[in-house]
Formats: sequence, C-alpha cells, structure tokens
Amino acid sequence: MVNNQNSNMSILLRGLLAENPVFILVLGTCPTLATTTGVVGAFGMGLSATAVLICSNFVISLLRKVIPDTVRIPCYIVLIAGFVTIVQMFIHAFLPELYETLGVYLALITVNCIILGRAEMFANKNTPGKAVLDGIGMGLGFTLALLLMATIREVLGNGSFAGIAIPFMQDHTIGMFVKAPGGMLVFGVLIALVHKITHGKAPVKKDFSCAGCPSAAYCKTGSACASAGQNPEKAEV
Amino acid sequence: MTIEKDQIKSVGVLFAICAVIAVLMALVNSFTAPIIKENEAAAANKALLEVLPGGGTFEEVDLSAYTLPATVTAAYRESNGGYVIQLTTTGFSSGLVIMCGVDASGTVTGALSLASSETLGEEKTYGGTLVGLTGATIDGADTVSGATKTTGAFKAAVKDALNAAIILGGGSVDIRSAEEILMDSLNEALPEAEGAFTSLFLTVASDTVDALYQADNGAGYVAVCGETYVALDGNGKAAAGADAALAADAEAAAAAMAIPSEALDLNKYEGISTSITEAYVTVDGVYDITIKAAGYGINGDEYTASGEYIYVRLAITAEGEILRCVTVSQGETDGIGSACAEPAFYTQFNGRTVADYEGIDAISGATYTTSGYLAAVGKALAAVDIMKGVE
Repeated sequence: MVNNQNSNMSILLRGLLAENPVFILVLGTCPTLATTTGVVGAFGMGLSATAVLICSNFVISLLRKVIPDTVRIPCYIVLIAGFVTIVQMFIHAFLPELYETLGVYLALITVNCIILGRAEMFANKNTPGKAVLDGIGMGLGFTLALLLMATIREVLGNGSFAGIAIPFMQDHTIGMFVKAPGGMLVFGVLIALVHKITHGKAPVKKDFSCAGCPSAAYCKTGSACASAGQNPEKAEV
Repeated sequence: MTIEKDQIKSVGVLFAICAVIAVLMALVNSFTAPIIKENEAAAANKALLEVLPGGGTFEEVDLSAYTLPATVTAAYRESNGGYVIQLTTTGFSSGLVIMCGVDASGTVTGALSLASSETLGEEKTYGGTLVGLTGATIDGADTVSGATKTTGAFKAAVKDALNAAIILGGGSVDIRSAEEILMDSLNEALPEAEGAFTSLFLTVASDTVDALYQADNGAGYVAVCGETYVALDGNGKAAAGADAALAADAEAAAAAMAIPSEALDLNKYEGISTSITEAYVTVDGVYDITIKAAGYGINGDEYTASGEYIYVRLAITAEGEILRCVTVSQGETDGIGSACAEPAFYTQFNGRTVADYEGIDAISGATYTTSGYLAAVGKALAAVDIMKGVE
C-alpha cells in the first residue's frame, strides 16, 4: 500500500522537475515561446493544456484495451482535438480576453507534443488513475515552466507582472525579452539551470520500446532506438 | 478473415470515438454558443459607444431598403434615435474606413478611423475636430494643410454620415454631387438628348445665360440660367411655356454659338505671346483664346512638379472685357494648386478687364499657380489688343 502511494506520488511529482515536459523533455516548445510574453496568457495556456492533458490521458487510458493498435494515433488525435475544442469553447464563452490573448495557440494544443507524447508513452500503458496523476503532474510542470518563463520575460521586457506595472522596472525595460530572441535566450538559460539542478540526469526513456511502434515491422535498426533511449547521452528527447 | 475483423473493428472504434466526441462538442456548443454571441454583441456595442458615447443599445440597419451615399457600408440604429454609420472612402489611398456617430439631433458625436493606409496619419486624430458639427456647419470645417486629400475625404465621409442619418431617420436629403444634379437637370430639361451633352464655351455676352449645353445627338440645347434650365430644340427654339425673357436670351446665345468662329493665324501678329496655342474670333468680335500658363507644374520643385502647363480658355471682347474664363486642364499639386480647376477660382475673372483682373482672390498656399495663371490671363488680354489692332 505504501509502495503504491509512493509510486502515485512519484508519478505526480516527476512532471514538475525530474521529467519536466518543457525543460527536460523539451516538448511543447512552440507554445512555450509564443505564449510566455505575459504571465496571464502563459497561465491560461498552462491550465488549458493541463485540462486537455488530464481528460485525454484519462479517456485514452480508459479505452486502451478497446482502441486497436493500428488506429490508435488517429483515435488519440480525435480525442485530443475534441477536448481542445471543448476547452476552447468554454474559454471563448467565459474568458473572452484570454481567448483573444491565446489566439491560434489555443487550437494548436491539439498538436502539442506533450499531450500526444503522454498519451503514447504513459496513458495507453497505465490505469486511468495513474494516467490522471500523470496528466496533473505533467500539466502542472508545463504550467509552472510557462509561468517561470513568462515572469522573467514580462518583468524584464515589459516592466510589469500579470499586467500590473512594477514602478522601477517600468522605466528600465529590455524590449528584447518580449520578442522571439528574448524567449529563446530565457528558454536556453532555464534549460541549463534545470539541468544543473538535476545534475544532467535526463530521464531514461524506458517507456520507448519496439512493442507498439507503428514502424516496428519495417524497422531495420532493431532495438537500437530503444537502447539509445537507455543512454542519456544519446537520448533524443 | 481475421484481418477483415481487425479492420472492421478499427474502423468501428474510430467511428464510435468520432461520434461520441461530435455529440460532446455539440452539447458544449449548444451551451456556450449563446454566451459567445452575447459577448460578441457586447464587444461590438462597446466599439459603437466609442463614437456615440452615452448611447443605449444598437441594432444593425438593413441598408437595402434605403438609397444612401455610396460611402456608407453599414449602419446601426441606437435606441435613443442616434446612428452609428460605417463608411469606406478614398483619401490619399483607398480603404479609409471611418466609424461616425450621429445623435438624434443630427450632431456628430464622434468619428474614428478604423482602418487606413494614409501616409501622414492625420485621419487618426482629424475625426475629433468634427465632433459637435451638424449638416449645416460641416462644410465650414477646416481640413488639415498638407493632408487635404485625407482630411477632405474624411470630412466628406462624415457629411455623408450626417445625410445617411437623416435618410435612415425617415427624412429626405439630396445626396447627389454637383455633377449629378447638373446632369439630372439637363436630362429633365431635354430628355430627347438621352443623357449625352457637350458643354459649349460661351463666347457671347449674356446677363442671364450662365452656360450652354448641346445635345450630342443634335436634339437641341439646354441653357442654364441661374436655377432655371431652358430647353431649346434642334433649331435653337425654346419650347412653348418657357419664361419668355429667358427663352429669348437662350435662343440668342444658341444662335450666336451656331455661327462658326474664324480661326486666327497666330504667326500674323507681331509681339503676341507664344504661350497662346489657339485663337478664334466670333462674328461679334469676341476673341476665344486658349493659352498655357506656367504654374507649379512647370516652375515648381524639380522633383515634385508635374511638368504640365495649366491650359486656360478665355472669351475676351474687343474692348478687353473677359466674358468667360475656364481652366481646361492642369497638373498642379493635388489639393493645393489644383484649386485653379475649381469654378470658384476661374469664374472670378468673368467681367474683369486689364485694369482689375489681378484683383482676384489668390489660391491659398499656391503662389506659383496663381502668379502663372495671372500672367497667362494678362498675356491673353494683351494679345487681344494686338489682334484687334491688326484686324
């Protein structure tokens, strides 16, 4: 029982730092760079993606024995796109300003690598409960990463936090931080910092294996990709 | 068989997931769509309130039921009787979109530029200067010097909005341009002309006839006598029932214009201005001279001047009185020197002689144009002296 609890807790927490989807797995880079010019937009994007991640992880895990292997990717995409559209409709109705802020990136959650990645790597191999915990953990990790980046960019680039002006900073803004180069710079520095904290121990991609790989029948590398995943130096994350 | 079963299962599962997701989305949409629509209406209302502050609720008007100025693209009726009119016009470049608020008393409450590609950006602030104006005072509003095309078009559009508000409110207003009014009046006076007229350059002195138009199909003439349009048939006779005095003047003018003028050989006259391009003399001894004037187009800045002369046509009596003066063509700066093509400028010369022709009101900000024009008129008057001496 205790082991089970520990296991659940580790699933929930690993998305926050050890397997942070943004800084460790380097997934979802596009919305990360695009929506972190302001804290409000970043928070909205993080929560929207989290909601979709929890729902899709839960349903995909629930249907993991029903969905045939050959059509699992189209099924995941339909489910994820459906949940994104539903979240989009709710945000459009109740948070129209956030809807305007997020723009096209809201709809693009559908093709966010984190969500499809968690469906493929975790949800379709685990129970709904664990899938939901994974969704919460990864979603919060994504949200925290966005918030961290957005805070740095908005404070330095715009002299404000969540739209509220910071007196001293307001007069000493560095415009680059709210532009694309500033986003890349902050992103790179934060990745370096997180790797320093985690001592460069990138997660072992043990979830990858030939079983379930749609290219397995034609693959000429054997299990090279899976073994590459065992070696952090060669990991393609 | 197994493969078939697997395929059917795959298709079935994918279809079922699509169906369930579609139903879920439809359910959520049925719940959120009305709220989204309400939000959008509120946002649109907010934009309308910017030009009609203190307005109530707005309702879009179906424009197909009204004849409105061509610039009007949308209109919203406000619950207290005001209107917000959206207009698209052409300033310095096309696509100048303006939103104008007009309250129930017909006063401009706000005018904003929603979209534009003007060079100077004057349209962004000019609307504020028109607030408080009405249909009676809008013509007197100043345009911005240096951005006359933009601000002139803006002002004209706001005037259109005021007229549109009157029409939408059930009133009537003449929205035709001066050219349209003239053409409609000519057609009404002489329907047989089928809408095709040529303006004749009047070389006869007449106190009543301001202009004479000839039907292109030979159906007759229309003489413009102030506000009255007198139709003449193909033989130059007025129809029965026309004002007798006006009809007589119109007939006389048409008869005089029907006699061909004699073309003059300009090489014959020593000392005559070489700027004169054509000259004729009528049987009544009125000289019809066309002369080119060097305005800004010739003497202006080498990079901005058009290189075009102003062509001026004058009818001058042997006594040296200018009967008519018209600008035939010009290439002066748009919105500045181009005012020399406006009747308000060139009709000032009518009735003047060498003694007082320089006393006309100059075109503001167009020194080159005015001085070039005056020089040309002076040369034409001098030419008449030379020509009549030789004759």
